[in-house]
Amino acid sequence: MKISYNWLREFVATGLAPSEVTARLTMVGLAVDSVEQIGDDYVFDVEVASNRPDCLSHIGVARELAVILRTNLQLPFVNKSRVVGSSSDLISVRIDDVDLCPRYSARVVRNVKVGPSPDWLVARLASIGQRSINNIADITNYVMHEVGKPIHAFDLSQITDAQIIVRRARSDESIITLDGVVRRLDREMLVIADSMRAVAIGGVMGAENSEISVDTKDVLIESALFQTESIWRTAGRLGLQSEAAYRFSRGVDPEVCLAVIDRAFDLMCEIAGGTADNDAVDVYPNRKSPAQVSLRQERIEQITALRVDEAESERILLDLGFLPRENSAINQRVRDYLVPSWRFDVHREEDLVEEIARHVGYEKIATHLPASTTIGAYQKHEGRRRAIRQSLNGAGFSEAINLSFSDSSHDNLFDLLPGLKTEGQHQFLTLVNPIAEGFDRMRPTLLSGLLNAVRTNLNHGIRDVRLFEIGRIFVKDQGELQESKLPQERESLGLIATRPHVKAGSTSGSGDKGELNFYDVKGALEAIAEAINIAPFEFTPATVRHLRSGQSAIVLLEGRPIGSLGRLSHEIADAFRFKQPTFIAELDLSLIEEASQTPVRYQPLARFPSVLRDASLLIDRQIKLSDVMAFVRTLNADYLAEVSFVGVYEGSGVADDKRSLTLKFEYRSPDRTLHDEEADEAHSKIMNMLQNSFGAILR
Amino acid sequence: MSSGPEALPHHQQAQETLEVFRREFERFERFNDDSMIERLALSDAREVVRDLEAVKIKYTGRKSSLSKLKKMIGDIATEHRRDFNQLLRRIEEEITTSIERIETALTEHVRLRGAQRDALDVTIPGHRLESGRLHPITLLRQRIEDIFVAMGYQIEDGPEVETNFYNFTALNIPESHPARSPLDTFYLDNGLALRPQTSTVQIRTMKRSRPPLRIIAPGRCFRRDTPDATHNPMFFQVEGLLVDRHISMADLKGTLREFVRRLFGAQTVTRFRPSFFPFTEPSAEVDYSCFKCNGKGCSICKGTGWIELGGSGMVHPNVLEAVDIDPEEWRGFAFGLGIDRMCALMYGLNDIRLLYENDMRFLRQFKS
Repeated sequence: MKISYNWLREFVATGLAPSEVTARLTMVGLAVDSVEQIGDDYVFDVEVASNRPDCLSHIGVARELAVILRTNLQLPFVNKSRVVGSSSDLISVRIDDVDLCPRYSARVVRNVKVGPSPDWLVARLASIGQRSINNIADITNYVMHEVGKPIHAFDLSQITDAQIIVRRARSDESIITLDGVVRRLDREMLVIADSMRAVAIGGVMGAENSEISVDTKDVLIESALFQTESIWRTAGRLGLQSEAAYRFSRGVDPEVCLAVIDRAFDLMCEIAGGTADNDAVDVYPNRKSPAQVSLRQERIEQITALRVDEAESERILLDLGFLPRENSAINQRVRDYLVPSWRFDVHREEDLVEEIARHVGYEKIATHLPASTTIGAYQKHEGRRRAIRQSLNGAGFSEAINLSFSDSSHDNLFDLLPGLKTEGQHQFLTLVNPIAEGFDRMRPTLLSGLLNAVRTNLNHGIRDVRLFEIGRIFVKDQGELQESKLPQERESLGLIATRPHVKAGSTSGSGDKGELNFYDVKGALEAIAEAINIAPFEFTPATVRHLRSGQSAIVLLEGRPIGSLGRLSHEIADAFRFKQPTFIAELDLSLIEEASQTPVRYQPLARFPSVLRDASLLIDRQIKLSDVMAFVRTLNADYLAEVSFVGVYEGSGVADDKRSLTLKFEYRSPDRTLHDEEADEAHSKIMNMLQNSFGAILR
Repeated sequence: MSSGPEALPHHQQAQETLEVFRREFERFERFNDDSMIERLALSDAREVVRDLEAVKIKYTGRKSSLSKLKKMIGDIATEHRRDFNQLLRRIEEEITTSIERIETALTEHVRLRGAQRDALDVTIPGHRLESGRLHPITLLRQRIEDIFVAMGYQIEDGPEVETNFYNFTALNIPESHPARSPLDTFYLDNGLALRPQTSTVQIRTMKRSRPPLRIIAPGRCFRRDTPDATHNPMFFQVEGLLVDRHISMADLKGTLREFVRRLFGAQTVTRFRPSFFPFTEPSAEVDYSCFKCNGKGCSICKGTGWIELGGSGMVHPNVLEAVDIDPEEWRGFAFGLGIDRMCALMYGLNDIRLLYENDMRFLRQFKS
């Protein structure tokens, strides 16, 4: 909101420099964002909060300044001498919809001479960024910026039968507004009409058909009141943001309707040489009595910690326009105040307290730390969540945050987390007003966002990407047909890793940059379970829609599926144009965080050395490591303390349907040092069993 | 026999040993001059050290003649033993001193030269696994949580998809308020909406638990802002709420002042100025002195010296009444701070869209 320094000083006598005005207004709640010098004037850009539409005017801001300066507000003098005739003889006004238009006042100014505005008026409007049109239009604009109440001037000769009818638009009605645009109206919009046609969209903009022109002789000044919501909706629907609509949609003083007409006709008589009618037509069927609010003096200190004496709080309220009820004397601890008609934001005692506090000054409020009455606590799983993040950082994964939206065209690309239904689209949450195409769903999986992130990086030439994200995913709950039933929000953990193919024979500095594979990402997951000390995840091969067959697994925790891991499917990789191997995983984080902790119990250290034997076994590819390990453990073989995985080899020298597994066997006696021969005997027994049961060939 | 002990054969033998040593050691004498050692190359110096070591063993080792002489002590008449021992000690001392003096200097020289030859380039990077980084929003959020937990607050969260009651009605936002419009708030096809602020959590907490209460609720919020350098349709906010008896705006000022001092440093100054929010009354905008220029005015604070921290105020009595808390008995304050904005200012981001693009070049810049 642009406010002119010189204009302000017409209403408040002040010697304060513009920079001081800036500081003082800011500290009472009218933040001045900038000050610009224009000629001999300064223009403030004032940020007016939505509860203070009364300050969308020079008088409104001047009133605050007058309270700050403890001086009087001087309202413009209205000269009513040049009045003749009677408007009520000439025009009639009918309001058909009092909800949308609670008041309509009108007055006629006769025999004006439409022409350019005087220099001072042009300059004043220009200082606040307003273009001069003609003297009549400029006066309406000037008065609006002065008082804050929009008014409109019609060419009376264009109002058929001099009859004003305030009604809802008809569904097939359209008019051309002053900006030359054809506006299609509907039943929700209010028009000002004559007996034939609409001549304005009420409170938003006038129509060309009744515009002031050089031929205009008699002017009908409209000063009406419109319902805020209606103006706001109409302006929004038409995409027509006018200065009038801006003010009406925030609220204008209902009691200023006639005063502002007086101010306008006075200026029109003076500048455009007209004569005004003696009376105004004023249709105002339901005048509201002013609101009344009580103030207990002690509440000021209780709420703000400011000690304010009664004379000072009374002065502030009076100067702001509040009137004490006659029956509440100043020495009483409770006073009732009538709220001024331009203040729509004052309903309760606290509102009065704020008025007093902001004019005493927030800077005078002490600073104090409240006494401790509570115990601080993180969210239940914050410790685990931090450990998981740290563990993933350690595995080389950086944290991503994606927007929580996804693209409905990705609906069927992914298998969702276990437990989330996957039949049809009805389970997805759809936004009715997405910000852009491709953001029309609340994401049911973190994977689409992570894939987009990888694509972004590849586009920027970054080909080594490891990301994880922790965030919520959304699906409708079982009773999704019920209105207002909150959807399921699950905390999910997603991982993605990709790296270029490694050319044979190439090496790199840090030495850990081999071909990325399934086990790299699996290792990152295993580390999580270890970091928060829960049962290790188990992995079983499975077919997953978004993963490549033969390189995909379901992840289980304590026997329960919690997600999947694997290499991105050919289809999705092609769709995203990924040429390098990409591995993705998504796990239900809530289940991980809620899993029970494995108790840590100290195990006595082995007192005698062990004997180690490695064995490489050529076995069928169908046989899984876990099968072999489980089998060995069930043997209860002599002295066998531990069997562990060393490595796997597949490739030249090994048939396609085979792979070579290398295992390490550790033999130990609890009460003496084991002899090599004893270990060898035990080992060869196990080897025989493996040969018999799996057809394993020792290499 | 009147001759002294010097004439005894053992004594003579010992004297001869010394003479032999002296003659042999002559070739090392030049190394008593440090400059001779300085001139030796590393390999030559090592050669000399080995040579010297051999000489040392030859004359003082277990099989040396000196060693043999020591064993002959029993053959010597008692009255001469003391003299003989003294003689042997003198001889041994001369041998070892001669050798060690040069040996020490040579060894020092070898170590020095060796160290020079093997000197590392300590500026070559150390070996380690390249670790990942936390998102800057997480880093800041964790710091904020740590500060408030230390001040007795509980961290809370609630649904991101909410009903109009929690999003607006209970927060004293009137039916006609523009914030409710589909221009500003995301709506779902079933009438629910994405929370435009985490103040929703205030309401859920107050419905669930009775005062005294201290909570903060950090989390994702959504508003229909078209992405540009300072807007995203999703952002992170931290909402704070304290409800207790005898709470005033002084407590609000004290709390937020303490918070910014812990986050940005003890020199940070706060400023409260009147503002408007439907769910607080009185309301205050909180500014803090720019951490970059300390209030002098710079590009970060757009020359004002102040940076907007967020909105705050005393909880509106209508809000307390909506959750059945008696505003005559309890009072509270609330505040809402934008984490994204703080993050942008703290790290000097000029375009906050970067926060959610997940470019590795961006993410890798942040450390706790």
